[in-house]
Amino acid sequence: MESASIAAHGHVDDHHHGPPEAHQSARIDRTILGILLFILSEVMLFGAFFAAYFFLRVVADPASWPPEGVELPVLIAGINTCILVSSSFTVHYALEAIKHNNHRGLKLGLTTTWLLGATFLFIQINEYIHIGFTPRDGAFGSIFFSLTGLHGAHVFVGLLLLTFANIRAYRGHFGPEQKDHLGVEVPGIYWHFVDIMWIIVFLAVYII
Amino acid sequence: MAAAIRQPGWYRAAIGTVLGAAFGFFLVVGLRLLSGLDAFQTEQTGYPQVIVPLITTPFGFLFGFGAFDYWFRWAAGKPTIPEDHSGHGATRWQDYFTFNTDHKVIGTQYVVTTLFFFLIGGLLALLMRAELAQPGGQIVAANTFNGLFSTHAVVMIFLFIIPIFAGLANYVLPLMIGAPDMAFPRLNALSFWLLPIAGIIFLGSFLAPGGSFDAGWTGYAPLSTGAPLGQSFFNIGVQFAGASSIATALNFLVTIITMRAPGMNLWRMPLLVWANLSTSLLVVGATPFVAGAQFMVFFDRILGMNFFNFLEGGDVISYQHIFWFYSHPAVYIMMLPGFGIISEIISTHARKPVFGYRLMALALIGIVVLSYSVWAHHMFVAGMFSWLRVPIMITTMLIAVPTGIKVFSWLGTLFYGKIHTYSTAMLFSLAFIITFTVGGISGVMTAMIPLDIHVSDTYFIVAHIHFVLFGGSVFTIFAGIYHWFPKMTGRMYDERLGRIHFWGTLVGTWMTFVPMHWIGMDGMPRRVADYATQYGNWNLLISVSAFVLGAVQLIFLYNMIVSWRFGPKAGNNPWRANSIEWQVSSPPPVFNFDEIPRVVGGPYEYGTPGARHAIMGGEGEGAEVPETQPSTVTAPS
Repeated sequence: MESASIAAHGHVDDHHHGPPEAHQSARIDRTILGILLFILSEVMLFGAFFAAYFFLRVVADPASWPPEGVELPVLIAGINTCILVSSSFTVHYALEAIKHNNHRGLKLGLTTTWLLGATFLFIQINEYIHIGFTPRDGAFGSIFFSLTGLHGAHVFVGLLLLTFANIRAYRGHFGPEQKDHLGVEVPGIYWHFVDIMWIIVFLAVYII
Repeated sequence: MAAAIRQPGWYRAAIGTVLGAAFGFFLVVGLRLLSGLDAFQTEQTGYPQVIVPLITTPFGFLFGFGAFDYWFRWAAGKPTIPEDHSGHGATRWQDYFTFNTDHKVIGTQYVVTTLFFFLIGGLLALLMRAELAQPGGQIVAANTFNGLFSTHAVVMIFLFIIPIFAGLANYVLPLMIGAPDMAFPRLNALSFWLLPIAGIIFLGSFLAPGGSFDAGWTGYAPLSTGAPLGQSFFNIGVQFAGASSIATALNFLVTIITMRAPGMNLWRMPLLVWANLSTSLLVVGATPFVAGAQFMVFFDRILGMNFFNFLEGGDVISYQHIFWFYSHPAVYIMMLPGFGIISEIISTHARKPVFGYRLMALALIGIVVLSYSVWAHHMFVAGMFSWLRVPIMITTMLIAVPTGIKVFSWLGTLFYGKIHTYSTAMLFSLAFIITFTVGGISGVMTAMIPLDIHVSDTYFIVAHIHFVLFGGSVFTIFAGIYHWFPKMTGRMYDERLGRIHFWGTLVGTWMTFVPMHWIGMDGMPRRVADYATQYGNWNLLISVSAFVLGAVQLIFLYNMIVSWRFGPKAGNNPWRANSIEWQVSSPPPVFNFDEIPRVVGGPYEYGTPGARHAIMGGEGEGAEVPETQPSTVTAPS
C-alpha cells in the first residue's frame, strides 16, 4: 500500500537530472500559501456580492426587506449552520489524527466531514425548492439566490476536494509528515473558509 | 493514431473541443425539450444554446489538451506520474504549441500571443480612425463602430497589456530571484492557455447575432443588461481572462515569497520583482470584483435577475461602483510592472544604482494601498453619493505622490549617470518618463471634480488614457521586449531598425494623442462614430498619425521575427547588467541553474568596483565576495 503513495514517488527521480532544488526562502509551505492567497481572492469575490447586497438593501432603500410576504426559514438555516460549523471541527480532527499517524481517525474525520457537508447541501437545495420565491422575484430574490448560491457552489467544490482526500485516505496515502498530508490540510483550510463564509452569509441574509 | 488520441495533445484537444461543444449544446436543447419548451430560444439576452456551449467548449479543449491530466490522476487516487522533465524547455517550434510547464517557454508563449492580439487590437483602432477621419459616415455603421471601440479596448487591456507583463515577468522573474521555475508550473501553463480562449471568445462575438458587444469595455448596466448576444460573450470572456490573471498573480506571489535564492532578502530584490509583487497583490485582491460585476450582468441577462433593474428594486449605480473597484486598481495592474521594467533599464544604462531604492519599493506598496481608495473618480458625473466626491478627489490626488516619487527617482538615477543610449530599450525608457508624466498630469487634472465634469466622456479622457496606456504601459512593454530580447532568444535585434521604430512610435504617439486633448476640451464626445464638422481637420491629422503609428509597428514585428532567426549572437550579458538573469547563458539553460546562486549584495551596485549581486553556482561553494577580482559589471571609467 505504502509503495503506491505519492510521497514515495518523490524519491524515484532523485537520480534523474532535473532542476536544482529551489531555496526555501519562507517558512510557510508553497501549497499552503497558495491556497491562502486563493482564499483571499475568493473573499473578494464574495465581497463583490456583499457590495451588491449593500447597494440593494441600504442604498436603493426598499420599503421592506425582505419584501412583504417573504418569510425566510431562519430555523432550518440555523440548524444547517450548526451542521456546517460542526464539520469544521471534524475536518480539524482528521488533520490532527494524521499528524499523530492515526489513520483510523483520519478516515473517520474526513468521512464525517463529507457527510455533514453533503447534508448541508441537501438541506440547502430543499430550502430552495420550498422557499416560495425565485431569483427573478425582485432584487431580493436576485441577491438571496446569488449569495447563498455562490456559497453553495463553494460547498460543492469543497466537497469535491474532500472526496479526493477521502479516496486517498482510504488508500492509506497520507502520513504524519507535513508534506505527506498536504492533501488533507489544503482541503481542510478551504473547508474552514467555506464555513466562516457561511456564517457571514447567514448573518447578513437571514439574521440582520 | 489511437495512441495519439490517448496522449494529451492537439488530436485529443480537437476531440475534447467537439465533445465539450456537443455536451453543452445537447444539454440545453435536451433540457428544454424535456421541459416542453422550444428547442431554441432566440431572445437577444438569452440564447442558452450558444451560451452554455461557450462555457463547456473551452473546458473540453483543456481536458483534451492535457491541462488537467495530472490533477485528475491525483483526484482519482492514482499514483501520479513523477515529473521526468522531458517536457521541459523547447527544442522545436512545435514545443511552443504544447501544454508546456517550463516558465521560459510559457513566457515566450505569452509574449508572442499577446503581441498577436496587440496587432488585432491595433487594426480595430485603425478601422475606427478610418471612420473618424472625416465628419459623417465613412466605412462602418454606427453600431459596428460601437463594437469596434469596445473590442479594441477589451483586447488591448485583457489580452495585451495585462498578460504581456505577466509573460515578460514569467520569463525573467524566476531567473532574477534564482528559482528553477515558478512555484506551480502546471497552474502557470493553465493560466497561459486560458488566454487565447478568452481572446477567441471576445473576437468570436463579432459572429454573434446582433454583432459584437458594444457597450464599451466598461459594459455599464443597464445598457449591457439589455444588449444583444455579444455582451454575454464579453461576460464569459472576462471570466477566463480574469481567472488566468488571478492564477498567474497567485503563482508570482508564492514564487517571490518562498523561492528566493539564499541571501536575497526583501531589500536585495530587483525592483521588477517588487513591481510584480505589488501588481500581483492588486490582481488577487481586485480582479474578483470584475468577475463579480460581470456575473451579475450575466445573471440579469440570462437568468432574469434584477441586480440592475430599477423597476424591480435593483440599483443601477452599484454596477459602476463594483466595476471600478476592480478597474481602477486595474490601471495600476497595467502600470506597476512597467515601472519595474523601467527601473531595471534606467539603472543598467545609466550605470548607476537606482536612486532611493527602498523608497521606490515602498512607493509601489503605497500605490497598491491607495489604488483601492480612488475608484469613484470615474463616477463624478454618474449621480453617485455626493459626499463621496471630495474624499475621492483627495485620494486621487494623493496617489500622484508615490507615482511622483518614482518619476523623480528615475531622474535622480539618471542625474550624473553615464547614460548610454545605444539600446532601443533605453530610448523607450527615457521617452516613457516624459510621455507618462504628461499622461499623469492630465490624470491629476481630471481628478479635480469641476474639470472632470467638463471633460467627462470627451476626447480629453481618450487622450489621457492613451497617454498613460500607450505612452506609458506600451512604451515600457517595448522597452522590456528590447531589453530582454537577447536573453530570451540568444540573439541581438537590429538597433538601427529599433531606432526607426522608436522615433516613429514617439512622434506617432504625440501626433495622435496630443490633439485629442484640445478637441476634448472643446467638447468632442468620445465613443461616437460621427462628430461636428469643426473637429474635421484635427481628426484628419489624428487619423493620419494613427496610421503612421500603426505602420511603424510593422518595422518592430519585422525586426523581432528576423532577428530571432538571423540576428547576431548576443552573448550572456550584452548590457553588462548585474541581476541574476544576465549571469546565465542566453537563452538560459533548460533548468536555469546547475546550482542555486547565492545573493551577496544589492542588484544595482553599478559603478562600485568589485561589487557583486550574486555568486553563481559554478564559482564554488566557498567563493568569497571577491574584493580584488574585477567585476564583470563595472562600467568602464
